[in-house]
Amino acid sequence: MHRWGMVIDLDKCTACQTCVVACLAENNIALIGPEESAKGRTIHWIELVPYIQGEYPHVKVRLIPRPCMHCDHPPCTKVCPVYATYLNEEGIVAQINYRCIGCRYCTTACPYTVKYFNWYEPRWPDEMRGALNRDVSIRTKGVVEKCTFCHHRLLKAREKAKAEGRDLLPEDYVPACVEACPSGAMYFGDLNDPFSTVSQLSRERRAFRLMEDLGTEPKVYYLSEGM
Amino acid sequence: MKLSRRDFLKMGGGIGVGIALGGGFWKWGQPPPSSKLLPPGIEKWVPTVCGQCLGGCGILVRMIDGWATNIIGNPLHPINRGALCPKGIAALQGLYDPDRIRSPLKRIGKRGEGRWQPISWKEAIQEISNQLRELRENGEPHKLVVLGGRYRGLMRLLWERFLEVYGSPNYIDNQFRWDGIPMEGLFLTQGIHTLFTFDFENVKYLLSFSAPLLDSYWFPIHALKAFGQFRRGRTGQRGRLVQIEPRLSITGMKADEWIPIQPGTEGILALGIAHMIIKEGLYDKEFVLKNTFGFENWVDSKEQTHIGFHDFVLSEFPPQRVSSKTGIPIDTIIRLSREFATNQPSLAIGYRDRPFHQMAVWALNGLVGAIDRRGGILIPKSIPFQPFPSPSKDRAARKGLERKRIDEVRESPFGIDQPYLFAKNSISGIPYRPKILFLYYSNPFFSNPCPEFFQRAFDQIPFIVSFSPYMDDTTQYVDLILPDHTPLERWQDDPLFLNNGFPVLGIRQPVTPPIHQTRATGDVLIDLARSLGGEIEKAFPWKDFKEVLLYGLKGIYESRRGDVFGLEYDEAWIRMLQRGGWWDPSYKSFEEFWELLLEKGGWWDPIYEFGERERIYKTPSKKFEFYSQGIKGVLLSSKGEEDSSFLPHWEESVPKEEEKYPFILNIFKTMALDGRNANQPWLQGILGPHLFEKWATWVEINPITASKYDISDGDWVWVESPHGKIKVKARLYQGAMPHVVNIPFGNGHRTGGRWSKKIGENPYRLLGLELDSLTGQPIHGNTRVKIYKA
Amino acid sequence: MEKIKREEDAILFEPVERTGRSFYLTLSILIIVILWAVFAYQFQYREGLGVTGLARPIFWGVYITNFVFFIGISHAGTLISAILRLAKAEWRRSITRSAEVITVLVLFFGVGNILMDLGRPDRMLNIIKYSQFQSPLLWDVSSITVYLTASSIYLYLPLIPDIALLRDRNGKRRWFYRALALGWKGTERQHRLLEKAISFMAILVIPVAVSVHTVVSFVFAMTIQPMWHSAIFGPYFVAGAIFSGIAALIIAMNIIRKVYHLEEYLRPVHFNHLGILLLVMTLLWFYFTFTEYLTTYYGGEPIHMTIFWMKFTGRFAPYFWGMFLFCFVIPLPILSFKKTRTPLGTLIASISVIIGMWLERYVIVVPTLTNPRLPNEMVIYFPTWIEWSMFAGCVSFFILLYMIFTKLFPIVSIWEVREGREKSMIEVQERIKTYLPGIGVE
Ligand SMILES: Nc1nc2c(c(=O)[nH]1)N[C@H]1C(S)=C(S)[C@@H](COP(=O)(O)OP(=O)(O)OC[C@H]3O[C@@H](n4cnc5c(=O)[nH]c(N)nc54)[C@H](O)[C@@H]3O)O[C@H]1N2
Ligand SMILES: Nc1nc2c(c(=O)[nH]1)N[C@H]1C(S)=C(S)[C@@H](COP(=O)(O)OP(=O)(O)OC[C@H]3O[C@@H](n4cnc5c(=O)[nH]c(N)nc54)[C@H](O)[C@@H]3O)O[C@H]1N2
Ligand code: SF4
Ligand code: SF4
Ligand code: SF4
Ligand code: SF4
Ligand code: SF4
Ligand SMILES: [Mo]
Repeated sequence: MHRWGMVIDLDKCTACQTCVVACLAENNIALIGPEESAKGRTIHWIELVPYIQGEYPHVKVRLIPRPCMHCDHPPCTKVCPVYATYLNEEGIVAQINYRCIGCRYCTTACPYTVKYFNWYEPRWPDEMRGALNRDVSIRTKGVVEKCTFCHHRLLKAREKAKAEGRDLLPEDYVPACVEACPSGAMYFGDLNDPFSTVSQLSRERRAFRLMEDLGTEPKVYYLSEGM
Repeated sequence: MKLSRRDFLKMGGGIGVGIALGGGFWKWGQPPPSSKLLPPGIEKWVPTVCGQCLGGCGILVRMIDGWATNIIGNPLHPINRGALCPKGIAALQGLYDPDRIRSPLKRIGKRGEGRWQPISWKEAIQEISNQLRELRENGEPHKLVVLGGRYRGLMRLLWERFLEVYGSPNYIDNQFRWDGIPMEGLFLTQGIHTLFTFDFENVKYLLSFSAPLLDSYWFPIHALKAFGQFRRGRTGQRGRLVQIEPRLSITGMKADEWIPIQPGTEGILALGIAHMIIKEGLYDKEFVLKNTFGFENWVDSKEQTHIGFHDFVLSEFPPQRVSSKTGIPIDTIIRLSREFATNQPSLAIGYRDRPFHQMAVWALNGLVGAIDRRGGILIPKSIPFQPFPSPSKDRAARKGLERKRIDEVRESPFGIDQPYLFAKNSISGIPYRPKILFLYYSNPFFSNPCPEFFQRAFDQIPFIVSFSPYMDDTTQYVDLILPDHTPLERWQDDPLFLNNGFPVLGIRQPVTPPIHQTRATGDVLIDLARSLGGEIEKAFPWKDFKEVLLYGLKGIYESRRGDVFGLEYDEAWIRMLQRGGWWDPSYKSFEEFWELLLEKGGWWDPIYEFGERERIYKTPSKKFEFYSQGIKGVLLSSKGEEDSSFLPHWEESVPKEEEKYPFILNIFKTMALDGRNANQPWLQGILGPHLFEKWATWVEINPITASKYDISDGDWVWVESPHGKIKVKARLYQGAMPHVVNIPFGNGHRTGGRWSKKIGENPYRLLGLELDSLTGQPIHGNTRVKIYKA
Repeated sequence: MEKIKREEDAILFEPVERTGRSFYLTLSILIIVILWAVFAYQFQYREGLGVTGLARPIFWGVYITNFVFFIGISHAGTLISAILRLAKAEWRRSITRSAEVITVLVLFFGVGNILMDLGRPDRMLNIIKYSQFQSPLLWDVSSITVYLTASSIYLYLPLIPDIALLRDRNGKRRWFYRALALGWKGTERQHRLLEKAISFMAILVIPVAVSVHTVVSFVFAMTIQPMWHSAIFGPYFVAGAIFSGIAALIIAMNIIRKVYHLEEYLRPVHFNHLGILLLVMTLLWFYFTFTEYLTTYYGGEPIHMTIFWMKFTGRFAPYFWGMFLFCFVIPLPILSFKKTRTPLGTLIASISVIIGMWLERYVIVVPTLTNPRLPNEMVIYFPTWIEWSMFAGCVSFFILLYMIFTKLFPIVSIWEVREGREKSMIEVQERIKTYLPGIGVE
């Protein structure tokens, strides 16, 4: 069984936000205009989280790309009353959009604030609708959504591998953000495979996870900056 | 445009069918019909070149039922190898912008009023060619001016050819010449005017003087991609980046060290570092001896002794002086100089500052021998396009070409176009007033200081045409709009090179038929030539721009250099070595070459030849010049014969009205926006991640300063300079120097579509018309402002 | 003798039998407010929750505050009545009914607020179809359902004899009362059964009530969010609930007393006793609040402290100190002195407590969400007119239902009052004998 995970090397990351935009394009994320953005209603499944420490001139700013952590002990799934979010057997914390009742309990329970809510019906100008990704459903108003590790890509890759009569190769399944990252700071793969890049990197000296003390066991690892 | 399966295994692409999934998960039952999903369709990936900036990235556009549904990097394209910057992906929104100009528009009502009448292409071309013909008949063809912006390739040659046969010398670049690259430093030391590159990947120690490597590098992807390699791509070696800059930018955040510096003084810091390197004898003595001129004192043919860089720097720039001007402690200066000199290969890179400040930074590279070496400054070879046959000109054209350029640029030492002089001279009528103005890819009302100034110039010009596909501040003020295709709809070439100096040619091809009634400006130009007839028509024997492209490509085919994209870089390199540099392209005929180009996305020549001195040093001494002889002849008149005028030196800008305007204004760029991407909501959403800023223009103020002025985070404030004021949101930021306020560029369009119009403010409205006397470009960082609550 | 008594209790039948102009006037006003809220809701339903002031990360606001608040109020009735019954507090007789009604009615608004808060109310039934019992929200659903059922029965049982009285009075709606009276004849056997059922329910209802509010607190405490993830949240919420419940009861009693001229039945002594109870709860509330914040402060975890200071000195200070003022500073002195434990005095204290407790709920819900663990953009939540309208609608609807109840049933339990008059003197004497030394019977 696979256990999908991600590693982000902060030393290589340029904070360019290509991952953010790649995710927006891949996952049919609603366009949020200036007014709604100002209210805090932007939807970015992956987002750069800034930590600003110190005072001028001794300032250190760290910008950490933050998708869903796909926790092995996800606080979010436990609280969902309708099984609309759950940890699947491959370690992906999934979100069933058509079942979610929009109680936003999972959003408040997630310590990483990675869940987003559709405050309105997502709308696109007619000129743009055709350009949506057909592999990913369009959410309705009132449901919660978040990073899925581009799960639809896994399904597609499986299908393709099956059609070609072979096993799934590591490079078959790459999420959109990882694929686009210009500096090669993001890695993705099977944490259960001790020889995969991600599992090797996750054991590196620089590896850490966000808020490890909460015991959520995230499957997104970071490699710290500097030596 | 089928791609071979093998090539795109990696992308999970090839030809497949989009699968419908309810949110991607079906564990507990199928989605009810209400979960909306677009119908699946036939998918194909079309390779082309991104046109969102000049980065030249190869992209694959995912087409489903004729819709472009996603963009990923072309893994075969050597520039980006499958990677992208955020703007690249957002090109989808540029293509499908609902507020694009959908057909030619003719102004009704007053200029700038915004009332338009759609007309047909035939009428539009008719109207322009009538105007053009009339101008020529009146013997004034030189009064046609083209203001061109940022783009690359044969299109530029086409414009110049058109003007040549028409009879006008006036093609004016409305870009800060080659996109902000510190060109003048290169010109002063190496006598070169063309593009160059930094071999970042192989640098061990990178000293950046405000170079916006990760914010808005001239070709963003080059820096972004190189950074990963620089940091962790080489086993056992991690590149170290030191960012010297007045504001803690993204580059500063990602750097190992950020050193805040008094704005406008990085030139003197570079000289201070040079002082210490020389004093401690840490420079590359062999390189300096063999390859440089003007380091030691020297004697000219008239037996006159001149001071060299060595003595000049030692006497003029002791660390005490440098420290007091820059605000950087002496021990830091000493440390930087030691680190820079001893961590080889090291590289210093600057930004588009005043020429001799750039030269000061360049001199550091000269001291450590970072010229024409791995991990240094490289001068790539050009791409062997087939040159256009030289056209025959009629009398009218020849007479027109004899006239002065309107910006009198031929008199400027750097030969840099000066849109400001164009505007000034249009107002004064000296040497003459333009009659027809074409705007191609340029929006001076937005991207130049003092929009009013340009507006006054425009008021003097009877007929103005814009080729922009989007409504922008300048296009709003023209008489006729002939909307261009957007890059994803047109044919174009994109010649560039890699960081390591290999020339690359990307081919931009339409991924979709035009969505609206737009036409590629190249095609329009050929039509115009045809309708003007005579020699002009003869100079354009092509049917359309695609034919021009094919014509140019013949040269590459025939050169028998390089190959179409195919192998990964490493493999290609190994193959190269195996064959000892001999190169056998994978195509046998031009048709095959063309087919392959379209399939793979382009051509490259993975070779860089070191040590071709003729190519590297075009100075009179054929060496790297610490003492710029090349500029001497031109400068004599204005600067006198003082030696220090030709050595890297520091030009202090004297603060004006310091009491009234206590802050220095620093305008910075963001990854997401430049003058043109504000119509793309995805980019508006990622403007300032360090402060969660989106869809806005803000001003960054140091918190202590802010508290003195009783400004709190999020307040609306006025930022006022002697030239104007804008209302923006105040953001307290520890990365702002106490006396410098920072405003991002990119928003503040007065017109445009739903996503760009009236979002934020344009900080360029705060600038005056103070230009550098040598380059005619606006001077960075010498505008002062005050701030008060709105 | 018989005659006079009937005359005396006639006033209890009065509201059921006669309805004045002012009733209709109030009714119309309430209906207008409710219609307005209905309009607001359909607007929200059509547009989405974007019409509220909510945003990421403040995903919960007034609706959830109201949910906790209303469920809290519901503790007024059943729980207090049950405790008083079991404790055989004689003075309870004229107040239990009005208390129990509050419980049953207000629960609907608690649940209603959760439903209003749903992004997809149309998928409400998924809670049943796909229930995931790990979710505290489901515990809520279950415990509230049980509580509602139990409270309704507990309200209904003591109503039966009174309904029979109404049936026998030949007034209006006799068919209605006949159906509901379940053939009550007032026989000895029936009385015994009823008493038994009532005491059984009284015992049952107490743990259920406690569980309800504990579970409500679990909605918060089961997440690992700072200042929610607290072990004393259960008791803290229960105490708060009883606190606000008593306050609500005092307000209701004051109104009934005035409107239906029940000064004889709801006497100052009732208010005095309830006032003492409220005083105890005030102190208890303070104790819990103090412990909660003191432990947080000593724990000193940065993430907790951000929220802590935001409440104490930051943006939420007005709410926090408002809460403290209304929950403690105002009621404490009023309730401490017998002189001020009058109907009016307790009314003022109770109104204050109600406001304070609403603020408490708000101060629990919103500041924590405003400060997620990861840095986030500063989002300021302020409820929109929609949310205020819905709040007003809920309160109005509650009052409306309460009014209608008083028009259908006697708001003071007639038979219990009578029973008290007839039997309790002796009973009490007997009881006292059982626990006082010296006069005790073996
Ligand atoms: N993403 C993105 N990429 C771009 C562009 C874009 O807009 N967005 N634009 C492209 C173009 S056209 C160009 S010309 C280039 C522009 O590239 P540059 O010419 O380098 O211009 P800026 O990005 O404005 O960066 C200038 C830097 O100098 C600093 N600075 C300002 N004043 C002073 C000073 O007095 N002293 C010192 N030491 N530093 C100072 C600022 O903090 C700023 O970071 O980028 C190109 N690439
Ligand atoms: N405040 C501020 N101002 C600046 C700078 C800065 O750093 N800060 N930088 C300066 C620099 S370095 C530069 S290079 C200039 C650049 O300034 P400009 O040369 O004006 O370039 P842009 O604003 O990028 O683009 C101009 C117009 O091209 C049009 N356009 C977009 N796509 C197409 C297309 O496919 N075809 C055609 N024909 N037109 C198209 C759009 O309408 C756009 O408004 O700005 C300068 N101005
Ligand atoms: S795309 Fe890669 S480099 Fe850019 S912000 Fe995301 S992780 Fe960092
Ligand atoms: S990061 Fe949040 S949403 Fe993702 S699995 Fe963990 S708790 Fe759930
Ligand atoms: S919002 Fe949806 S996914 Fe989240 S807890 Fe509620 S029902 Fe489950
Ligand atoms: S893995 Fe996919 S869904 Fe998750 S952040 Fe990356 S692109 Fe978005
Ligand atoms: S760097 Fe420029 S060319 Fe490359 S993807 Fe970004 S916008 Fe496109
Ligand atoms: Mo530029």
